Amino acid sequence: MAAIVRISSVCHRGVKLLFYRSALLARPLVGQQKDQDLSYLLTARIHGSSSLCAGSVSKAASLHWTGERVVSVLLLAMGPAAYLFPGPAIDYSLAAALTLHGHWGIGQVLTDYVHGEPKIKMANAGLFLLSTVTFAGLCYFNYNDVGICKAVALLWSK
Amino acid sequence: MAFLLRTLARQSTCLSRPQLGVFYRHAVPMGTTAKEEMNKFWAKNNKLNRPMSPHITVYQWSVPMMMSITHRVTGVGLSGGISAFALLALVLPGNYPYYLDLIHSLSIGPALLGLAKLGIAFPVSYHTLNGIRHLFWDSGKGFTIPEVYRSGYVVIALSILTSIAAVAYM
Repeated sequence: MAAIVRISSVCHRGVKLLFYRSALLARPLVGQQKDQDLSYLLTARIHGSSSLCAGSVSKAASLHWTGERVVSVLLLAMGPAAYLFPGPAIDYSLAAALTLHGHWGIGQVLTDYVHGEPKIKMANAGLFLLSTVTFAGLCYFNYNDVGICKAVALLWSK
Repeated sequence: MAFLLRTLARQSTCLSRPQLGVFYRHAVPMGTTAKEEMNKFWAKNNKLNRPMSPHITVYQWSVPMMMSITHRVTGVGLSGGISAFALLALVLPGNYPYYLDLIHSLSIGPALLGLAKLGIAFPVSYHTLNGIRHLFWDSGKGFTIPEVYRSGYVVIALSILTSIAAVAYM
């Protein structure tokens, strides 16, 4: 009893689970099945990062992953859109989506093959520079020249 | 009393009870990040000058493996092509139709022109179709081995067909 009171003073969230568990243990036959089902729920609550003593985990990596997929789907949609509705809106959207998709894609390649803190930093800096120049060049082309959609059309008409 | 001890032992929810560490069945996040662990691995192995264990030279190649590396190669190639195009747009003096006419006046011949178009169309086609296959995997579908092979063959066939169609009919 004293032990439970002590736990409650440190992690008040955990105590409710403790009491739940002990109620189950008091009825072993019914408890077996529910045990397994509930252990998933209990695991889920314990892994919750909000009030756990161990500290929280950053969501940056998973947001990056989701962002990559969103841009991929957008780029996919821009293919038929560029064919059906060529123009400056699609040109600039294509410039942005292509550059970002390529930037993140090559970022993954670098992560896979480049090791060691200083080399990683240099490679990523170089990539950032390349992507910036690429985006600038594409926007310049869209503004001062025929634009991406027209360029592809002209290339293919040769 | 035994009941209490069992309850406590089976469900420890706080790091503040380190003596119950052996009973933690539900993992708590580690002190180091994945990135730190990976850097430690490479730093240690580079310092000890350990040779890399053979991998692509000994492992039997399979269709999924080849498709995966082709996806990566086409991706890097296309990205490099786009970057080169953007750089040239910034650096070269004339405008796009001027350079197109310049290349056209070189009288390369239809066969080589077709081949060059195929060289652009196939990577775009393959990377796009395999990209869709990847997005299906990301949604959790199609992971059984027969499905992986089947979708793989479909992607290969469609990319060849669409790139030839793009060059021949457009």
